[in-house]
This record gives sequence, structure tokens and C-alpha cells, in this order.
Amino acid sequence: MTEPFLQIRGLRKDYGIVTAVSDVNITVERGEFMTFLGPSGSGKSTTLYILAGFENPTAGDILLNGESLISTPSHKRNIGMVFQRYTLFPHLSVGENIAFPLKVRRWGKAAIDAKVKQMLGLVRLEGFEDRKPAQMSGGQQQRVALARALAYDPPVLLMDEPLSALDKKLREEIQHEIRRIHQETEVTILYVTHDQEEALRLSDRIAVFSKGVIDQIGTGPELYANPSNRFVASFIGDSDFVTCKIISMRDGRAALSIGSGPVIHGVPVHGKNVEGGMAALMLRPERLSLSRAAVGEGAFGLSAKVTDITFLGSNIHVAALAPSGETLSVRLPFGHEAAAGLSRGDTIFLGFDPESAHVFCG
Amino acid sequence: MLLNFERLGAWKWILLVITGLTAAFLILPILFIAALSFGSSQWLIFPPPSWTLQWYTAFFADPRWLEAAWTSFRIAVMVTVLSVLIGLVASFGLVRGRFIGKEALRALFLTPMILPVVVLAVALYAFFLRIGLNGTTTGFVIAHLVVALPFSILSITNALEGFEKSIEDAAVLCGAHPLEAKIRVTLPAISHGLFSAAIFSFLTSWDEVVLAIFMASPTLQTLPVKIWTTLRQDLTPVIAAASTLLVIVTIALMLLAALVRKGLKS
Amino acid sequence: MATLTDPSGIAGTVKPRIVRQYNFAQTMPALVLILVFFVLPVFALLLRSVLEPQPGFGNYAELLGSTTYLKIFLNTFVVSALVTAVSLAIGFPVAWALAIMPSRLSSVVFAILLLSMWTNLLTRTYAWMVLLQRTGVINKSLMGLGLIDEPLPLVNNLVGVTIGMTYIMLPFIILPLYGVIRRIDPAILQAAALCGATRWQALTRILIPLAAPGMVSGALMVFVMSLGYFVTPALLGGTANMMLAELIAQFVQSLVNWGMGGAAALVLLVVTLTLYALQLRLFGPARMGGR
Repeated sequence: MTEPFLQIRGLRKDYGIVTAVSDVNITVERGEFMTFLGPSGSGKSTTLYILAGFENPTAGDILLNGESLISTPSHKRNIGMVFQRYTLFPHLSVGENIAFPLKVRRWGKAAIDAKVKQMLGLVRLEGFEDRKPAQMSGGQQQRVALARALAYDPPVLLMDEPLSALDKKLREEIQHEIRRIHQETEVTILYVTHDQEEALRLSDRIAVFSKGVIDQIGTGPELYANPSNRFVASFIGDSDFVTCKIISMRDGRAALSIGSGPVIHGVPVHGKNVEGGMAALMLRPERLSLSRAAVGEGAFGLSAKVTDITFLGSNIHVAALAPSGETLSVRLPFGHEAAAGLSRGDTIFLGFDPESAHVFCG
Repeated sequence: MLLNFERLGAWKWILLVITGLTAAFLILPILFIAALSFGSSQWLIFPPPSWTLQWYTAFFADPRWLEAAWTSFRIAVMVTVLSVLIGLVASFGLVRGRFIGKEALRALFLTPMILPVVVLAVALYAFFLRIGLNGTTTGFVIAHLVVALPFSILSITNALEGFEKSIEDAAVLCGAHPLEAKIRVTLPAISHGLFSAAIFSFLTSWDEVVLAIFMASPTLQTLPVKIWTTLRQDLTPVIAAASTLLVIVTIALMLLAALVRKGLKS
Repeated sequence: MATLTDPSGIAGTVKPRIVRQYNFAQTMPALVLILVFFVLPVFALLLRSVLEPQPGFGNYAELLGSTTYLKIFLNTFVVSALVTAVSLAIGFPVAWALAIMPSRLSSVVFAILLLSMWTNLLTRTYAWMVLLQRTGVINKSLMGLGLIDEPLPLVNNLVGVTIGMTYIMLPFIILPLYGVIRRIDPAILQAAALCGATRWQALTRILIPLAAPGMVSGALMVFVMSLGYFVTPALLGGTANMMLAELIAQFVQSLVNWGMGGAAALVLLVVTLTLYALQLRLFGPARMGGR
């Protein structure tokens, strides 16, 4: 059996009485794009900084190709990193910035020149060699930072919210570039972000951080389709939550009812057994169907009053108030027949496929 | 309206006249001294009856003036080097450190700036009498270092606070030893702060009068002390010549500072 | 609580291991210098005021009980107050003009301000000694214009000191005030005009109140610096019109009376630090400078 490429084992970091991360375990394959996703304060950056060697873990270990990195100082870890803030060396030109890691590694001049040229090609900034960082846009600076971090062919590249200072359009453009560069170089990337869309767009797998622990690791579709708890469900994709009553639980499926509505069977359920008690039913706005009349049985059990209708280009967003006082949102494609003539105050009936919903107990 | 120059109306002219007069008030005495240094009148009559270089000749012919100038320069250079070095190291501690009493320490380092120099001069004079440092170069350097250091610490902590620490971290991750990262990345990035620390330190020592009067001995005196003792006797135009030379040094340093600032920006 | 734990949220919280002790050690050379050659000598001097010639507060009784010394204190306060008032009266319009002038013009004035500030103090004082003397340009011009018959006594008295010190203090009030006025949003004054305020009302009710913190803080700074000034009063004031700093120097240099010198130094120190603390209290940390 071969050794996994990168292993984070039982990592823990305390600052005095505050625990920043605890019991973080991740195994990353060579060439994988792994994203740490979570809100600020969830411990994702701390984990990354421990990997970089800027922080020492309180407990746990990091193994690269089976060897512990913990006692190796940052400058000997041979890890690449792109930071949240612009970190180009302001007094050096673009070319000199990319050459910096090679110079400290005592490469020959010819080899450095060739490598700088190659890296500029990789990030599509040929001809920018002599520019100073101050003469470049934020997006260009981060591309140079990427080139600098990859110039010495590090086995692992860390990226700490590298696009958070850029505007949305530029961000998407560079996300594209990062994907392409990941494919071209096959470098293993650990990427930190709080932006779920960015995580979904870029990653092979996502580790969702919350309050210092990893809630779930999986591919984007896995996390979306099978969130393991309420936090993951609300963080990946949009979601509505409705209080429901659990009637029975068996084999990971629940039968439940909402308010005085009919019993709905076969909803995937997570958490401890609370038969007879209350739980949160999670629905995806785009998987809800909307009807103007209470037709049929079962499926259209939930009635609500329209409070707002928003046109968002390809989508129409309908906000509705359930009798329980909970607000639900429904997303319909533009031109959907159910939306025609809909106005504020109308009563609507919502239905869903039990397979697309989840119940979180406790 | 009041903060729009073009729409101030008549007030604009009042402000301009006051500003013009103030500028004249500030610059004319200096120009006046410069002019008198070339005037032939021993009694500093203005306008001078005729023009001459005799006061400059007298200045350069007198070894005591030259020696004083050389002493001033020597001391100022030593103060500059020490002040920037000690200030640099201390600034790293003050900006990057997280220890108890850090802010109090910073305040302590800056107090020599607000304390009346005459108090420090008298206190140091008494202390140096005891340990035999009065009238020595070491004594001069220490005294001037105490008042120059706050300027260094202010300039360098300012620059270091404006420097993004991640840039140094990036250099370390690129493979540079933390010390190499500081020397090759952080120092060039805060060079404007180091430079103004150097200029301020140099000028502080070079122009310093009060401490110098107390530290000086008949065999060791700086240019300001020499001017001071001469002034107490008479207003000889040689002082005008010496003063003009001092002004030229100041202007040269100011231009240098402006040039370097411009060079650093581009 | 959440942001406490995320290094990406706060600049510079990411620290490698042993840093704390190491960072503190970095401040040691400066700390030793300041403690040994600043704190210790000053305390030693102040101590002598209650120990010499014999332990007790005799020096203070003598200092505060004698009309000669009280006159010196009075001189010091009056001159400092005058210098502060005149500097403020001239400094405010100049700072105001600088804040709104086209930059071509203001950069010339700035160059003059900086040159004046950095010109050797003795040079500047010397210039005024020459200008103000009996046969100096100013007396000659005034006589030439027929405004006076006899030369005015402008030097070796407090008039000379006030002129010379104002000359030195002006940049110290103009520069910070400029900063304060510069930060006032012009839209506020446009709003005042739209509300119906005349220029005079806008000046007295909006601009001056907005600039007031800067004026008070600059004035305090100039006042404190003036209190401890030595060179200019010594050269322009003459022996009959001594100020506090000269008194301290004289006790030590001519009279070799360390007890009285220490006592006078303490008086100056207490007043200076009290005013500085007031300034900190009112406006937070500000830069001060003095010689």
C-alpha cells in the first residue's frame, strides 16, 4: 500500500484558552485541488498557516510523502503560497520577483532566466518582466504571485483567499486561470475561501470548516446532495429550513409532517433519533415546485403566502411566508408558467421530491 | 465655499497676503544672513558697502572653525549610524512583538522628544561629570543619540507598520532564511523610513546646540558650540559665513531627501 | 470570538513560535540607552533638588518664595503665551490658505517652511540678533521712514525674545493645523452656505470649530516647547530678562548649585508633562518636537 501524499492528522491549535482548530484530519491525493471552505473564524486559515509553518500546532502532525513537516522551518518546507494580500516584493520587478525563490536556491543565471520566462508564459504575462508591482492591477499582481509560488516546482501550493481583494468579474477570470494552471502543472493545491461558489467552481474536493472543526469533506456534488448537517447544507447552495414533526425514522429515512399537512415519507435524515419530536427540514429553493392550487395529494402539502417576487435575470425568486411564520424562497427559471401573473399576497402551494430534501435532527 | 480657493472672493486675497508676508518673514532673515556673509561691513551694515569673500576666507583659515565643523560631522555620522541601527532593531520589537507593556515602552522611547532639552542637558552633564564623559566624543554621541533615537523609532515604526508582513512571509516560504528575507525584502521595502530616520538623526545631531554646550570642552566642540561661544562675544560676519555654509548643507540634505523620495516612488 | 481565531481576519496576528521573548530582546539596546542615559540622569538630578545642600524642600521654598525667581517664572509664562497667541493668529490663516491653494503655490510655501524649520537654530537666532540690533535694518528702516527718531530697543529684552521665538514656532503650528484643515470635507462648508450661512458665519460657526482641536493641540505644543526654550531667550533676551531654561543652566554652570538647578528642572518638567498629559487626554497621541 502506498503512502498517501499529504496527510493532516489530529491537528489542533490553541491560542491561550481559545481553540482555533481541533481534530483536523485530511488526506490529500497528489495533484488534487482541495478547498477549505468556511466562514471567517472557522479555522481554515489557521490550518493553512500551520501547513506553511507560520504557526506551530498544539497537537497533531502533517505528513508529506510520509515524512513529518512539523519540525521543518517555513523556508525549508519547499511549499508555495499565494496570500490574501498582495505580497509581491515592491522594490523588485516582476521578473525579479519570480526569480527570487530561484536565487535563494542558488540557481544559475541561465536556468533562472529560462524558468522566469516559462512561468510568465504559464500565467500569460509575457512581456511584463520589467514592470514594477505598483504598475500592475490587482489581478495581474496575484498572477505574478502565483508564478513566483510555482517557480520552484513546489509539491504543494497553498492559496489563502487569493482573490478576495478583486472584484467579481476579475475574480471569475482568474478562477478560470487557476483551473487551467492546476491542470497544466498538476500541482497539489490547498485553497482557502469563504466563497462557496468559488469553492465549487475550482475544487476536486471541499473540506467544510465550522468553529474549528471539519464538518464534512467531499466533492461539490456530494456536499450539495448529501450535506451531513445543517451548517453544511446552509453553506453549500441556498437552502430553506422548515420545522417539521418526525413521525418515524428508519434506515436513514424519515417520515414527517409539516404543520397539519399530510405525512411525507422517505426523506433522508441525519442526526440522532428524535421520533415524535421536531426537526429541521432543509429544502433547496430551485428544487421546490410551485403551484397556484392545492392539486394532488402529499407532494403539495405546504401552503404559503407570497411576500415578494424578484426578477434576477435567468431566475425568478419568490419569497413566501409559511403559516408557521418561516420564510421560504423558491427559485423558478425565467418564463416558468407558475410564475406568470403571480403577485404579492397570493397563496401558493409548494411541493418537493422527498429525495431532494434532508432532515437534520438535534 | 471657504475651502474652495477660487470661490473665496476678496478673502482669497487677504489669505494670500498673510501667507505671502509669513513666507517672507520666514525666508528673509535667512537670505539676509546669506547676503551679509558676502558683505564687507564688519558691523553688518545692510545693504553692504561692497561685496567680499573675506569672511569665508577667515572661516577656512581658522583651524578652530574647521575642526569644529569636522567634529560636528564626525559625531553626526556616528549618531546617524547608531540611531538607525538601534532604532531599526527596536522598531521590529515594537511593531511585531506582543509583550506586556509594549505601548508604555514605545512612549518611553519617545519622551526625549517632549522633555525640555535643557533638563536632559543638565542631567547628563551631572552624570557625565561623575563618569568622566564630558568633553569626549563618546559623551557627545550618547547625548545626541538620546535625542535622535525617537526620530528614528518614529520613522521606522511608521514604515514598518505600513509594510505588509505577509510579504516577508512570502519570501520565507519562497525559501529565504528569515534573516535573509528581512534583509532582501523588508529592508528595501521600508527604505524610505530608514532614510528619513537617517536624515532626521543626522540633522538632529548636526544642529543640536543645548546638549553640545554642556558636553563641550575647550578642546572638543561642535560647530554650533563654536558659533554659540563666538556669538556671546560679538556678531562677527564670520558667523554669517558659517551660518550660510550650514544652510547650504541643510538645503543639500533636503534636496537629497526629496530626490530619494521621488526615486523610491518611481 | 470568531474573528479572534482566524489569522486571515486580522493583519499581523500570525507569529512564529519564540517570537515574544525575541521581540522584547530587540528593544533592549534602545531600552538600556534610554534608561541609563535618560531616565537615570534625570531622576538623579531631580533627587539632588531634595538632597542638596541638605535633605528637605528648602530649594523649593527658596525657588517659589523669592520675587526674583517668580519674575523669571512670570517672564517664561508671559513670553510663551504671547508666542503661542501670535503663532496661532498668524498660523491659522496661513494653514487655511495652504490647505486650499493651488499646489504650485503651496509647494513653494512648504519649501520655505521646511527650510526655515531645518535651518540651524543658532543661524536663525543670529539673524534676528543682527536684524533687531540698534543699528540693524529694522531700526534703520523705521527711522528712514521717519516713524521713529530714536532706535527702538528691540533686542536684549522680551520683545526680541517674542519675535525670535515666534519665528521659530510658526512652522510647528502651521504644519499640524494644515493637516487638520486638509481633512475637513469642503462639502460641509458648501452645506453651510446652502443652509444660508454667510461667509463670516461659516467661518466662525463651522470652519473654526472644526479646526479647533488642531488649534488647541498645536497651541499646547508650541506653549510647552516655548516654556523650555534655552538658546533663543539666552541670545535675544539678555541677562536681565531670564527665562526658566536659562535659570536652570545658570544654577548649574555659573553657580554650581545642583540643588536649585534640580528644583527648577523639576518645576519645568512637571509643567511640561502636565500639559503634555492634557494634550494626550484631549487629543490622543500627537507628535511633539523641541530643542
